[in-house]
Amino acid sequence: MTVIVLDNGGGQIKAGIGGDRDPLTIIPNCTARPISSKKPLIGPSLLSPLTDLTSATLRRPIDRGYLINPDLQSTIWAHLFSTLHVTPSLSSLLLTEPLFNLPSAQRSFDELVFEEFGFRRLYVANAAELVHLYEASRKPYGVVSKRECSLVVDCGFSFTHCVPVFQNFVVNYGVKRMDLGGKALSNYLKELISYRSVNVMDESFLVDHVKEKLCFVSLDVQRDLIVARKRGYDNIFKCTYVLPDGVTYTKGFVKDPAEADRYLTLYDGATGRHTEEMETDQQEHEEKHENKNKIDLTKNEFSLTNERFLVPEMIFRPADLGMNQAGLAECIVRAVNSCHPYLQPVLYESIILTGGSTLFPRFAERLERELRPLVPDNYQVKISTQEDPILGVWRGGSLLASSPDFETMCVTKAEYEELGSFRCRKRFFH
Amino acid sequence: MMDEDTSNSVRRMSTRTRRVAPKMVAALASNDNRTQAVLARLEALENDNPGLETVQVNDDSDASLDDDDEQVFQKKQSKSTKRKTRQAKALENAKKAPRTFHELLHEANLESLPRHVPTYLRAAVGPPSSVARRHFCTVCGFSSNYTCVRCGTRFCSTRCQNIHNDTRCLKFVA
Ligand SMILES: [Zn+2]
Ligand SMILES: [Zn+2]
Repeated sequence: MTVIVLDNGGGQIKAGIGGDRDPLTIIPNCTARPISSKKPLIGPSLLSPLTDLTSATLRRPIDRGYLINPDLQSTIWAHLFSTLHVTPSLSSLLLTEPLFNLPSAQRSFDELVFEEFGFRRLYVANAAELVHLYEASRKPYGVVSKRECSLVVDCGFSFTHCVPVFQNFVVNYGVKRMDLGGKALSNYLKELISYRSVNVMDESFLVDHVKEKLCFVSLDVQRDLIVARKRGYDNIFKCTYVLPDGVTYTKGFVKDPAEADRYLTLYDGATGRHTEEMETDQQEHEEKHENKNKIDLTKNEFSLTNERFLVPEMIFRPADLGMNQAGLAECIVRAVNSCHPYLQPVLYESIILTGGSTLFPRFAERLERELRPLVPDNYQVKISTQEDPILGVWRGGSLLASSPDFETMCVTKAEYEELGSFRCRKRFFH
Repeated sequence: MMDEDTSNSVRRMSTRTRRVAPKMVAALASNDNRTQAVLARLEALENDNPGLETVQVNDDSDASLDDDDEQVFQKKQSKSTKRKTRQAKALENAKKAPRTFHELLHEANLESLPRHVPTYLRAAVGPPSSVARRHFCTVCGFSSNYTCVRCGTRFCSTRCQNIHNDTRCLKFVA
């Protein structure tokens, strides 16, 4: 029987077939209604390079990580399953849910899965266990696998969790959460660009793109602020982003990827994402670049300097923004300290970073610098970033879905109909 | 049918008013401008459409979206048992109004659970151990030494102060 693996994130849905290496599709978990249209767009059409999402109004079924609008989620799923040619009544579903999901949201998910879509079986997993499973299977002789233990740091769209995993299960009393994720970072960047250059308050997709392409984590904020003040060519952080004009381009782009990569020269032995990844970007826009000189672009672009590192900085110092919560390094320490002392050195040795917001260059390096002084000297600190922090959860799910005893772990539709949501949920331990 | 329509639209209206974020409500209830500004700003970071003054709840357009898909599943539903229909009905009703996260959290009444039960609330990381806060100018991003007397926002120079006064001061406060 087919198992559909659905990593139902607040920002993106990763969906595919259990046993595959990669999901079949990744779509935004939202609808977006462009100003020129009455109908909201949904699914892959949101990602098409031809779609103009300028000033689109967004609606998301998930807020702060939790399902608040089952109706909207249902609409998005219905569209998803039909594009994937999935027949729920003939399939099982592996679904990810946030830790400490609220009872009402659990019920809503169960109703969607069994009543609305009529899946045969359901298994509810949490991201941390799936990431742990995937990493353990990748390195059968590593610490994570041998000790069945890791500390999963999941910095996603809605929030950030530090999750101790022991004997392959989440130590739920050790979980610590920061209310800060990719969405808040994008909104912060929106605010900064809007007050300093052009109003992009309505441009969620564009600002996400700016953030992904241009932001990085500083290893020394005070020094970098000084560098960012320099004028002209000496300011190696300065770079320019071109806004879509709605005619020639519907998407924005980094004006000069080489310029955007100059910040890397500040550090030794650096490898940049832009030099490689953005070549394709560059090629796409090459033709357009020729036309570009003819148009007056002075109003269609903006430059960034210190915003590039002040945005990801929030994860490390939320207090700077006025948030009364500890930063990531302290969050890790508190998660570890709530576990048994025997477990603590092992957890520090097996920190796994996952989630889209860990993709900022130098994220792990900065974290290690902040964490090391907070950890006892005789403990090792080892931080590894997942090969693909966006797909890691899904891949773990795919692995679990293809294990021989997967079906026995599931709740069946008949059990759900007989026992109801609450009692079925007891099976999933969280 | 008419009745149902009106009650629906009433519910939608009330949804819209409830959409005003709780922190915003708290902020407006507070008569301290600085607290208001800080709370409102943090709330805005979780907003999907921060540029819009009032968030529109476009339920109408959503219902008509992808009717084909919906119908496929609805057909299957119609074959359901008595118990299921009842549940489905409850589901229909519950589904009509999107809730806010804070409503759901409040409804979950997590405070009532025994202390040893880990919950959403107990998983919160808590305040930082060091109260030292670095201050950046909200206008240009560089280190700031001045604070706006009205809203508590930081700025670094007269130039940035003027920009702040013209464009951002008390922006989040109604
Ligand atoms: Zn300034
Ligand atoms: Zn002010």
